[in-house]
Amino acid sequence: MSGTTPGYSGAVDVWPRVAVMLWVYLHFPHLLLDHIRRDRVSPQAMVIVEGTGQRVVQACPDARDQGIQSGMRLKTAISLVPDLAIVRAEADREARILEDQARWLYRYVAHIALVPPNGLLAEISSLQKLYGGLPAVWQTIDQALNEHQLTAWVATGHSPLAARLLARAGKGEYTADKGHILRALEQLPLTDAEFDDKTCTHLQRLGLNTLGEVVALPAPELARRLSPETLAHIQKIQGSRPDPQTPWQPPHSFRQQADFIQEIEHSQGLLFPLQRMLSELEEDLCWRQQDTDTLFLVLQHRHEEDTRLRLRTAGPEHRSEAFLELIRLRLEQQPLRAPVISLVLSVRRFLSREAPVAQDLLGETQDLNEAWHTLISRLQARLGEQALTRLSPQADHRPERAWSAAAVHQGMKLSQANPAHLPRRPLWLLRGPQPLLEQPVAWFSGPERISGGWWDGQRVMRDYYIAQLESGQLAWVYRDVQDGWFVHGWFG
Amino acid sequence: MSVNHYAELFCFSNFTFLTGASHPHELAERADELGYHALAITDACSVAGIPRAWAALKESSVKLITGSWFELDDTPSSAARPRFILLARGRKGYGQLCKLITTGRRQAEKGQYRLFMQDVETHELDDCLCLWLPPAPSEADADQALVCGTWLHRLFDYRFWIGASRALESGEEQHLARVRWLASELQCPVTAMGEVHMHSRDRQPLQDVLTALRHHTNLENAGHCLFQNGERYLRPVPVLQRLFPDAWIQESIAIADQCTFTPGELRYEYPADLVPEGETPAGYLQHLTREGEKRRYPEGTPVKVQALIRKELELISVMKYEHYFLTIHDIVAFARQQGILCQGRGSAANSAVCYCLGITEVNPANVELLFERFISKDRDEPPDIDVDFEHDRREEVIQYIYRRYTRERAALAATVIRYRPRSAIRDVGKALGFDPTLVEQLLEGIDWRDKDSNWRQQILDKNLTRNPKVADQFFALVNTLLGFPRHLSQHVGGFVISAGPLSELVPVENAAMAERTVIQWDKDDLESLGLMKVDVLALGMLSAIRRALEHISQKLGRPFGLPDIEREDPRVYDMLCRGDSIGVFQVESRAQINMLPRLRPRKYYDLVIEVAIVRPGPIQGDMVHPYLKRRDGIEPVDYPSDDVASVLERTLGVPIFQEQVIKLAMVAAGFSAGEADRLRRAMAAWKSHGDLTPFRDKLIHGMLERGYNENFAERLYRQICGFGGYGFPESHAASFALLVYVSSWIKCHHPEAFYCALLNSQPMGFYSPSQLIQDAKRHGVTVLPPDVNLSQWDHTLENSGEQQHLRLGLRIIQGFPHKSAERVCQNRPETGYRSTSELRKLASLNQRDMETLAGANAMPGFTSNRHQAYWQLLDHEQPTELFANEALASYQIEHCAQLPEPSEGQNIMADYNSQGLTLQRHPLALLRQQGHLQHCLNAEQLKTTKAGIPVQVAGLVTGRQRPGSAAGVTFVTLEDETGNVNVVVWLETARRQRKPLLTARLLHVKGVLEREGEIVHVMAGKLSDLSHLINALPVTSRDFH
Repeated sequence: MSGTTPGYSGAVDVWPRVAVMLWVYLHFPHLLLDHIRRDRVSPQAMVIVEGTGQRVVQACPDARDQGIQSGMRLKTAISLVPDLAIVRAEADREARILEDQARWLYRYVAHIALVPPNGLLAEISSLQKLYGGLPAVWQTIDQALNEHQLTAWVATGHSPLAARLLARAGKGEYTADKGHILRALEQLPLTDAEFDDKTCTHLQRLGLNTLGEVVALPAPELARRLSPETLAHIQKIQGSRPDPQTPWQPPHSFRQQADFIQEIEHSQGLLFPLQRMLSELEEDLCWRQQDTDTLFLVLQHRHEEDTRLRLRTAGPEHRSEAFLELIRLRLEQQPLRAPVISLVLSVRRFLSREAPVAQDLLGETQDLNEAWHTLISRLQARLGEQALTRLSPQADHRPERAWSAAAVHQGMKLSQANPAHLPRRPLWLLRGPQPLLEQPVAWFSGPERISGGWWDGQRVMRDYYIAQLESGQLAWVYRDVQDGWFVHGWFG
Repeated sequence: MSVNHYAELFCFSNFTFLTGASHPHELAERADELGYHALAITDACSVAGIPRAWAALKESSVKLITGSWFELDDTPSSAARPRFILLARGRKGYGQLCKLITTGRRQAEKGQYRLFMQDVETHELDDCLCLWLPPAPSEADADQALVCGTWLHRLFDYRFWIGASRALESGEEQHLARVRWLASELQCPVTAMGEVHMHSRDRQPLQDVLTALRHHTNLENAGHCLFQNGERYLRPVPVLQRLFPDAWIQESIAIADQCTFTPGELRYEYPADLVPEGETPAGYLQHLTREGEKRRYPEGTPVKVQALIRKELELISVMKYEHYFLTIHDIVAFARQQGILCQGRGSAANSAVCYCLGITEVNPANVELLFERFISKDRDEPPDIDVDFEHDRREEVIQYIYRRYTRERAALAATVIRYRPRSAIRDVGKALGFDPTLVEQLLEGIDWRDKDSNWRQQILDKNLTRNPKVADQFFALVNTLLGFPRHLSQHVGGFVISAGPLSELVPVENAAMAERTVIQWDKDDLESLGLMKVDVLALGMLSAIRRALEHISQKLGRPFGLPDIEREDPRVYDMLCRGDSIGVFQVESRAQINMLPRLRPRKYYDLVIEVAIVRPGPIQGDMVHPYLKRRDGIEPVDYPSDDVASVLERTLGVPIFQEQVIKLAMVAAGFSAGEADRLRRAMAAWKSHGDLTPFRDKLIHGMLERGYNENFAERLYRQICGFGGYGFPESHAASFALLVYVSSWIKCHHPEAFYCALLNSQPMGFYSPSQLIQDAKRHGVTVLPPDVNLSQWDHTLENSGEQQHLRLGLRIIQGFPHKSAERVCQNRPETGYRSTSELRKLASLNQRDMETLAGANAMPGFTSNRHQAYWQLLDHEQPTELFANEALASYQIEHCAQLPEPSEGQNIMADYNSQGLTLQRHPLALLRQQGHLQHCLNAEQLKTTKAGIPVQVAGLVTGRQRPGSAAGVTFVTLEDETGNVNVVVWLETARRQRKPLLTARLLHVKGVLEREGEIVHVMAGKLSDLSHLINALPVTSRDFH
């Protein structure tokens, strides 16, 4: 290209030399998709759609093969692939996943910057020496990407922006040869140069198609007719203007999440993604040179409240097999309450590998609700976890559904219901209605008709009365549609 | 008075949106079955459900009471806000009720109402009865309740009752105890009421769904928002007798007996101001008609027409419709005076009287159109005249109506927006807690053209729920919800005008558009109450015709108007027979273009048929082929009887118009006028929720009895079903056909005026400006690009010797403001602008405007190309003062040598980007030259290619259609440099090649050429997407409308 442009004799004059730095940029073109797909057994064409659900923002290779492209209307995508799996994009989730990637990269590179939503930048000039040259660095990163089953477009560049543009354009190479990098940059289409929309439109209107053609324009004219920022952007690409990056610091705790597009119904199905997460935990612990003795597992369900599990190892531990075994045993004891849509594994408690085992039963927990937590844990330890539940009112007209025994966990909220508005109900509600065997001697109130619950298959249609039985007991009785009579509770 | 009597005084219909779970007619019919004494429909601050309930109870002994339920926005007792029902006692009370509702609705946003104690205190309500609904013990304590009751009791005095209902819920005993206590404290009677939300207990699930939706939640989380049971339905009287003391039930009857108002009393009181003092309406109408006669027939009115006018005036007088005709005349006269073109259509519009009054241009001397066919003495229905006005000037007419009659007396009719399958599925899905993404996916994936059973299957296939019971409930709920009203919207142009304040006739509420108000009834309601509305509609073609006539006048140097157009010109029909009708009113669609060469119109009435026949009704009813065969003499024209002949003669024995179907039901099956009218309504409603089966037996029996054979009877029934909702009335086709002829005549004789006017009236019609301009060029019109030195805002005709050229106006440039264009034209120097800076300064254009002009290449006088123009514009930092001191002539054009020259491809692309079209070569011509389209024939070549041979074609996809009348076939229109190619894709082919079919913008097709007369199709085999060749070209396709 440069050869054909008159007045543009060589790259060297245009791209001034600066102190030797080498940046590598990892662009994850479909991070969220990779993240979800790697925990799935049977792949299916899948897309990520923007928040409003109107447009496709990422499409997996299968989907692309069938003609789906990002930017396409969801409607069109579905007509192309009727059984398409669809995931809604969430900024938080993507940020979290990006940070996961920074964490493993941090094992190799000290200077990392996050480039949300889907890029990582690392300075590797010092690494070349450490690893014995660029090819070795390349190999290390490539291997890590494979292990993590991630698609990444990688490029090196002498400036952060150069690396980024080449990576995002898919034109990246592992090279430290600045001349080579500059030539690749010149050939980048204008639209890949990340000028702001307005500038890009201006440049296109001038008939310019490549970054090289823009660079060829006289710099003062460029600053005057377009904007000083446009020139600055070009200089940042060239590396002739500083472009400071905010270094990323690894977090103090470990957290990994797996999201499932199809609900997992059996605990067996959780072990597959857990295996991967636990080996990442093991890596994390190794890198920290620490152990842990407490894992937190949160299983999220579509409708029900989360299942929160706290697992204790016998002693400080870092091996993934040991953790997996522990979780497997626990899940065998405790069947899933409901299908799981996502799984979070976190570790907040790190133990020095040399430190002695804590003496007290609970260890030095750093949780805020320490006392509460301690009490619950002790009771659960003594009585078994199933034995402890919490009573709370539920807004439902059906008496058997008007209360619930929920699992105990931290951060319980008390119901806001005003007791004055609650209907008149016996204090002692029988576990299940029992047939009324005798004719009541007196009727006190009724009928109160309850009919509802048709939507969840537990329909009731009953007329309730308060009646006195021969024994003198005050019973809450009802008649159902089939004209059968039942006792449902006792008044004091 | 029978012991089995009860009057229900508290009943919500589904016009209390997301609350009532039954249609008004369902409630009415159920009350009739149960033998209620009376039924009050008491929707929340609304009487929208009244006309429907009234229509259902017309022939019943159940008395309909008009009422409304209210909850105030403030309270006298610092506790629960007062809730009460007002019932209209007489006509006066009804007016008072409407007025209060209007106040409440007008002081709130669309769809809401807000009423305060002060409103109730200041409105006259002395002919309304008040039923107070005391707050429950959980809402207010006894004293607070008493304060509230005292306030209302003081206002209504002996017209005040406490309403007590029993739904068998917990806490009811306490509530009833409170009712008794309040009654004794206030010394007032108590009446029984059912707090009815549905006609039958079966509707509880739907009522629960609606409640959940109202609370923006799903059923699982709705909890105590739902009612405890399904007792709020119309219960049998014996059940109520067990629940209520006899005295309370008797009280309900006593109240009902006080209410004597029936909606049937509502009489439309016409605005009297149209008749000059001392004249009678009939005399004045006669006078105006005579004036018109002189204008229409300066040579003297033909005898035939004279007789017609006499007959019509007599009929109008008998029916007392004078005011209606005078009202329309007044509006039309205003339009005429303003030079706004208009044309009436509808049952009464094509009469000799309307011709004389200038409401229509259809000359009764030229056409056989019987007024009686459109207005009948037996059918006591108001005449229906819709008047179309130029679309960009209709607002002037609307503003005139508001000015002439004031907002007090004129408002738009409502349109009831109802649940359609898509919205019903979405809402029921939401209530049942289905994953919204899955529901959306389901909706996207459903092929709505398939029958009902099919989407049901599609839902099951989608695994939306694994529980078959839930799936069944889902379908049942969706089916019931279909057709439920969701909200009131404004009718496209139906005005109701009254003599007195409209709000005493029907409540008026706010529409979404500021400055617009709508009444609470829609056009069906108005019709069933016998109230008249005037339809003021917008029609783009009228704007185009007016502009074209102006162009022609200018060219001829004398005024040229509609009457000057030569009638029945064979050259016009020749053109239409060729299918050369792009841009022509009504007959320009692909289907119409294909029909024209088959139907071969040779006279006005052929056009009337052409307009009506290419409609889903006649196509689905299988009327097209028989008609064509009979016309071509292939099939004999015969009639089973003289009666049938009288109805079908003019269409060769095949029913084509809606009126014919109705008339057939009368003459062949013995339907009475009233029954025929009900059939017509059922047909109109058939699409949404109507059911024609009740009419089937009567039709078939009636015809068999009258000696018609079963075959004929069945066919007629099928045709009626086909017509349902899609039938086109002759009375409208007659008016449209006139515009078809006029627009064809202009296209045929003054193509440059035709295209110029059409382009200036955009958006309208079926084709984009790009397509129209290509058609114009094919008709020999020279089209010139927009130029700041030569263009106006509108497109114009430039004289060039004998010829007229079409100069595109600045309006074609997308994103260029009208105001800026005006400044460009007004401040243009004699010699034209000489530089960008001169243009910028003189027309005070901002940078965006300048760039837009550069993008359009609209400054050819002083910029060499787009790229250089931009380069000049980007240098805009010089302060403007500098210009003032500089001699204009000293401007020099800066040139940047580094900028590349735009290629032809780039120019074409940029033209499309800026104007959506190009005057340079068509992109396909360029691609063909570059060798990308080898072996492809163009549209012109296809015309002379033999049928049955394999061909290849390629073109820009400008349309994809899958008409409901052609099972599974997709029609794709491809555009190339010589015209349009029609591609037919069979379902199987489409399934296998979804991707190119649905996404390609440039499509290549291998297929077989088929020919039917002059119509050429390519039956698609292999489709390939060539869009990469035109990557950045912004071509849009009209898909699946």
